[in-house]
Amino acid sequence: MTAAALAKTAAKPLVSAFDIVQEYEQPDGKMLRVLDSVSLSFDRPSINMLLGPSGCGKSTLLRMLGGVRPWNVATPTSGRVEIDGQPCVGPHQDTVMVFQHYANRPDMTVRQNVLYPFSFNEWKRRVPLKEATERVDQMLQEVGLSEKRDQYPSQLSGGQNQRVALARALVLRPRVLLMDEPFGALDAQTRSNMQDLLCRLHTAHPCVVVFVTHDVTEALLLGDRVIVLSTQPARIIDDFTIAERQPRSQQWLMGADVRVMHERVVAHLRASGGHGSMRVTV
Amino acid sequence: MSTDFWNPYRALPAAQQRLIGVGSVIGVLLIWSLLSASGLLSKNQLPSPLAVGEAMAYLGWYEGKSPLAVATMWSVGRVAAASLLVMVIGIPLGVLMGASPKVNAVFSPLIDPFRSAPVAALLPIMVMWFGIGEFMKIGFLFVGSIVYLTPLVRDAVRSVPEEYMIAAKDIGATQWECITKVLVPLAMPRIMDAVIVGVSVSWTYITVAEYVNAQEGLGQLIANARRLSATDQVFAGIIVIIGVALLTYQTLMWLKRRFFKWETKA
Repeated sequence: MTAAALAKTAAKPLVSAFDIVQEYEQPDGKMLRVLDSVSLSFDRPSINMLLGPSGCGKSTLLRMLGGVRPWNVATPTSGRVEIDGQPCVGPHQDTVMVFQHYANRPDMTVRQNVLYPFSFNEWKRRVPLKEATERVDQMLQEVGLSEKRDQYPSQLSGGQNQRVALARALVLRPRVLLMDEPFGALDAQTRSNMQDLLCRLHTAHPCVVVFVTHDVTEALLLGDRVIVLSTQPARIIDDFTIAERQPRSQQWLMGADVRVMHERVVAHLRASGGHGSMRVTV
Repeated sequence: MSTDFWNPYRALPAAQQRLIGVGSVIGVLLIWSLLSASGLLSKNQLPSPLAVGEAMAYLGWYEGKSPLAVATMWSVGRVAAASLLVMVIGIPLGVLMGASPKVNAVFSPLIDPFRSAPVAALLPIMVMWFGIGEFMKIGFLFVGSIVYLTPLVRDAVRSVPEEYMIAAKDIGATQWECITKVLVPLAMPRIMDAVIVGVSVSWTYITVAEYVNAQEGLGQLIANARRLSATDQVFAGIIVIIGVALLTYQTLMWLKRRFFKWETKA
């Protein structure tokens, strides 16, 4: 990429958050500040990890980036989110979320679940049915669920269910994929398989992935960039990139570089005080 | 007593359940026979099962006609007409109430209190308003049943987990699509439960509805028999109502299992 081209892409961030502050009203009427002056920008296809203790406000931030708002609460309290330089005030067509608990429809088969977005007029209008079904079948193959296509979510394991959710998101070819602790409910072995799958899928379908986790090891394993948040209120306390190419080996993960990064993250979190739990899985 | 006697999670084998069920019905028939044979109660207070059987046969076929079949058809027709109306109006209303707290705030005070109101006491008012014709009878069943069905439909919609709606909105579903393509399909099994309750309630009110000026129907048959002190025919009528209501219930349950298989698998 030439310097000029690089400057051009760098000058046009895809998703930006400016000075986000979020406050929630507590039962006693006091305002609780969850996010404090968070500014972020993502400009090119990459995997970006939002790492922070559980309950620090990562999910709130993630939902804001996609324009998904929790009901009854205005978000953000102040600050703004922009997508392609346009203020983002509602669910955006180029951002798709993947939830920790899959949100797979129990009344639909695997295939129907992945085809589901195309049942809404928005996507009916944008993608002809023929192309949609082709994309769905292709996607099922990529996540390795072609054989389970006619089964129901209740017949699948947790990992398989998350594959369905991932397929349903990627089938829309989003430019921004927002993942809210997607592998948090899975056992260690399945989580590891899903991390591999995500890397492969990301290579095949480059997009900006913003991935929320409270698992330091997961952040270092997957992240091209790791953004560390403190807790209550969440501020960005560290933001660094990892150059190591995907997929990353276990050896690399056990190496000195990673140990240094690991210590750095933990030190930052310790220095920021607060509470909430983190996970380390190696 | 096995250690599993008090265990709600251990299903009974179907054959065993049927055996016990048949046994308990036979037990009641036996006690009934003994009571009526003992002479403690007069024939009018408690006819013997045999007398009720004879009454049923007599009503079932008399001078080339079947008063019982005709009465049953009329009652089935009225319950069906009322249930259809209840579904056509109550389901959409319940869905809208479940989907919007504002709509619920409007209709809840008009519907919920009537669940505990003596609906039978409304009959004289219904007669004054709607006369004594067919309109009053179906209207009465309608009112009695819709006050049960609508809140149940609302609760069915409310019980759909929020995550499905958030996920749908995220991919661009409109508010209306969230109702028609998310809330309603996911609430369908419980809406079906509401329909089953609604139809069952109609059956419980049929005798009241057919009490006034009915020329036909099971309620009228029972009322007539009571006037003539033919207790055996009263019993026969009640048994037929229970039988038909049970058959309706079983059919609807079968339909529910057939169409919403996914619900039981979850």
